[in-house]
Amino acid sequence: MSAVVAVPYLTDEETVVQLDRFIIDATTEVFASMIFMDLVPGDVVGDGSVDLDVAISSMIGLAGDLKGLLAVHCPRQVALAVSGAMLGMEMKDLDDDVKDALGEIANMVAGGLKTSLVTAGSSVELAIPTTVVGNSIRTSGFSGASTLVVPFRVPDGTFAVELNYVLG
Amino acid sequence: MSSFTEIVPKLIDATTEIFTGMVMMDISTAGEPVQELGPLKDTITGMVGLAGIHKGLVAVHFPYEVALAITSSFLGMDVDEVNEDVQDAVGEIANMLGGNVKTLLSDRGRDIELSLPSTISGEEYNFSSQEQVDQVILPFKAPAGVFHVELELER
Repeated sequence: MSAVVAVPYLTDEETVVQLDRFIIDATTEVFASMIFMDLVPGDVVGDGSVDLDVAISSMIGLAGDLKGLLAVHCPRQVALAVSGAMLGMEMKDLDDDVKDALGEIANMVAGGLKTSLVTAGSSVELAIPTTVVGNSIRTSGFSGASTLVVPFRVPDGTFAVELNYVLG
Repeated sequence: MSSFTEIVPKLIDATTEIFTGMVMMDISTAGEPVQELGPLKDTITGMVGLAGIHKGLVAVHFPYEVALAITSSFLGMDVDEVNEDVQDAVGEIANMLGGNVKTLLSDRGRDIELSLPSTISGEEYNFSSQEQVDQVILPFKAPAGVFHVELELER
């Protein structure tokens, strides 16, 4: 750990490499410890070009040395399957239980990201998760920020974790 | 919880000041705080997170007509669709409100940072926070319609 440079001093390319690694690790950890579902990370993309029919998005803000928003975007079937696996029951609608489960997932993935950043020397705090359910929702981050999107494949489909961020 | 109730009139003042000073638009409160908003239709929401010793969220929900009027006022030109300029303007308002809330809470000795503003928009969506939160939703009236400012603080 002594060889790890604090995130604000990394070059942009190194930052992207670290952050997507942190996101993959955090998401993998959440699935391994709470959801028990096969998870395959896909290739990171630098913009919103993961093609998903998003029905539900859970978002949580981060503040400190890294400021940003982490969002988990799920199509309907994936949200039902993932929350169902987490809660140990079959979910039929995008109801409050599903929203709470997705919000908790966003919270835990952000928590894992925070831990990795803290270990790398950066101080970051989390806000509170919010969940949005709707059709054809558009989300936009801060226009001066960078974006990374990591797709993840599960048996029921693909979801994406997006980080919109500014360093320093 | 008393500090939360004290924040409400200050949040009303902060919102009014931002609109008068930055958006150049007269607004007024439009009644008592609302319990919940229900589905938001043809609306754009700007939000920013509060993090630190106290965690929360500031959100502002504008029906499209109000968002367009605000952006037109900000930019000094007519905006007739909910595009990036509108997203930026709405995000900026959320950011300014967040900054005011941070100052209000920090003055009382709380260490709080803001995340980055973001927006959500669509034909219809439900917006809900998890966690145990104290929440207040304030209605305001602008010339183009009613909008809401929402503050959530984790208990």
